[in-house]
Amino acid sequence: MKKCLFLIAILSSISVFSQTITKDEKTKGRLFGGLESNSQWYLNDIERGINHPEQPIRSNNYLLINYNYGKWTAGIQGESYAPKPLLNFNPKYEKTNLGTYFLNYKTEKVDVTAGYFYEQFGSGLLLRSWEDRSLGINNAIRGGKIVLRPSENLSFTGLYGNQRTGFGVSKGTIYGFNSDINLSGILKMESSDVSVGFSYVGREEKTTFVNPNFEELTNSFSGRFNYSHEAFYINSEYNYKAEDAILYPITVSNAFVKPGSALLTNFGYSKKGVGLDVSLRRIENMNFLSERNPEVFSPEQTSLAYNDRMMNFVPSLTKQHHSNLANIYVFQAQKSVSIVSDNGIAKAGEIGGQIDFFYEFKKGSAFGGKYGTKIALNSSNWFNLDGDYTLYPPDYKTDFFTIGEKYFSDYNIEISKKFNSNLQGSIVFINQYYNHRLIAASLNIQVNSFIIAPEISYKLTPTKSLKIAVEHMWADSDRKNWAALMVEYNHNLNWSFFVSDMYNYGFDKNSNLIDDVSDHFKIHFYNLGTAYTKGSSRIGLSYGRQRGGLVCAGGICRFVPPSSGVTLSLTKSF
Amino acid sequence: MKKTLLVLFTLINFLVYSQHQLPNVKLKNLKGELVNSNLDFQKKEVLYVYSFWATWCAPCVQELDAINEVYGDWKQKLNVELIAVSVDDSRTEKRVKPMVNGKGWGYTILLDTNQEFKRSLSIANVPYTVVVKNNVIVYVQNGHSPGGESEFFEKLKSL
Repeated sequence: MKKCLFLIAILSSISVFSQTITKDEKTKGRLFGGLESNSQWYLNDIERGINHPEQPIRSNNYLLINYNYGKWTAGIQGESYAPKPLLNFNPKYEKTNLGTYFLNYKTEKVDVTAGYFYEQFGSGLLLRSWEDRSLGINNAIRGGKIVLRPSENLSFTGLYGNQRTGFGVSKGTIYGFNSDINLSGILKMESSDVSVGFSYVGREEKTTFVNPNFEELTNSFSGRFNYSHEAFYINSEYNYKAEDAILYPITVSNAFVKPGSALLTNFGYSKKGVGLDVSLRRIENMNFLSERNPEVFSPEQTSLAYNDRMMNFVPSLTKQHHSNLANIYVFQAQKSVSIVSDNGIAKAGEIGGQIDFFYEFKKGSAFGGKYGTKIALNSSNWFNLDGDYTLYPPDYKTDFFTIGEKYFSDYNIEISKKFNSNLQGSIVFINQYYNHRLIAASLNIQVNSFIIAPEISYKLTPTKSLKIAVEHMWADSDRKNWAALMVEYNHNLNWSFFVSDMYNYGFDKNSNLIDDVSDHFKIHFYNLGTAYTKGSSRIGLSYGRQRGGLVCAGGICRFVPPSSGVTLSLTKSF
Repeated sequence: MKKTLLVLFTLINFLVYSQHQLPNVKLKNLKGELVNSNLDFQKKEVLYVYSFWATWCAPCVQELDAINEVYGDWKQKLNVELIAVSVDDSRTEKRVKPMVNGKGWGYTILLDTNQEFKRSLSIANVPYTVVVKNNVIVYVQNGHSPGGESEFFEKLKSL
């Protein structure tokens, strides 16, 4: 409560301050920020056999307030999870408190921050601190950061601090250095772009092992380059993490110590009307946490489940589908070593790639018609690293470029077309393979699925429009087939309404199911809702059923339990 | 605790001064050059339309596709420039360039890979559009409805 009052005191002082400064625009003082509130009223659902949690009304709220005066900016973020956070958010988000604060001084050449800051080196495979409220991730670093840009072609960053976990910070200290060098700018190359970058990230944490087989300071290094010439481009990044103890199964073992590495290569060709992109990646033992041991909340639940204390970002390189059914069997990147002697699962990372192809059939051509036709092809394949694995005592030795058992694959094509000035549509075909046994290290379930998802949107008047999306999935195991329907009506730029339903059928009641808390069969997962937007404000209200499963954003997922109820969300920036 | 929240929300109401100026953040363009989100877009009387989008956001892509159809007309009638700010993180960032080219969009593209620009404007969801004229934010639009581009164009004409 004291902290709350403190927060309010700061807020009110800022608000008073802002009134004085807004009188004179020329002082350049300005106040800005935003409010976001996501609340849920969980209800009993007799048909699904779900009782609401003890506190049925739960709410996650964020208030960010920044004040800028010339080269200086200060900001605070207050967060309130009262009376409790939404189901399955990190339990360390408790009550109302100050989440982050910072003071920043920025000129063309110098950018200094004290307090909490966000940062990403390269593609984030060694270090990324960011915020994703839908996943409950805020791993900002509390400490200091300085960015120097002596010329427009050179950028150097140094940082130091501890990572945020809940409303506190973790024990491990993080040191980081990054450089980005634009060679084509320095060498005044006209026709090509060439840049290189180097990073160092260190994480220091005391260990309780008497004779640790690893250094308390874990060093990691990264080098990358980027080259493009006209329509062609290529970039690559190699990351190395020094020897460190590996989790076995949920605490680190002094007898299981290995280095980690990540290699990412991306190249492509693109010009007007056509684009081709290829990404290849190999990840080995790249779980990098700001504290070696995750916090254990219960035997089944550790802080890993809440994406807590992650220092790096290893997203799954697969297409992020907007089809609901294509997000039932969703792949998460396999960055960690996992050796489970009980069921013979042994994996050390992943290897694979993704290809994207975009093409536009021109207006007037046979496929293009009057308005043109756009297609997007995508495929991804991911495998375990091949090598010699020993279950007990745990050990492995991987081969660098050979592939092991398949985790996941996705082949899909999306065709979109405008038929006339009022009607446009698209259709997606998706074929997925999901190896649950190897991905989740549990039940021996492998799923092959095929999804068709057509969608049309029709303009009724210049402002009113209707969108209808139908989806069907055929799957050969787990809960088998699904059908889904969504209808959305946009009244104008302010009001919109939607209704949707998802239904599962064709299942075998006696078969193995992927999750043990899964729903009863013959359940309609209906939802209906409305949203009102005006300027920067948006209010959304909906009622319906949430399927238990993974909710993902940017390739990182959070498990949500099955629930039913009313959702209210509110966002506003100022 | 409820009281605290109430006080917080009331405070917000006192604090509703619109953000007059766009924050200046350094972002990369598709050539890898650093661009200033504000300082490099300050020509007098030009309507700068910052459209926040992502490759995985279907309504965003639909909106930018729809505007692309009429962008030539808009430019003839108005002094307008659209800056499509991709908030794709490193999972999907590499798809931006082939997608933009594959779709033949003629916009200026900026990459907000770790969402610093998005955060500085407290944007919760994309699509989100901010219109800046003479260094002042003159209009904000949250979300997109199919066909909304004609209504949006009427709005632009009035700014």
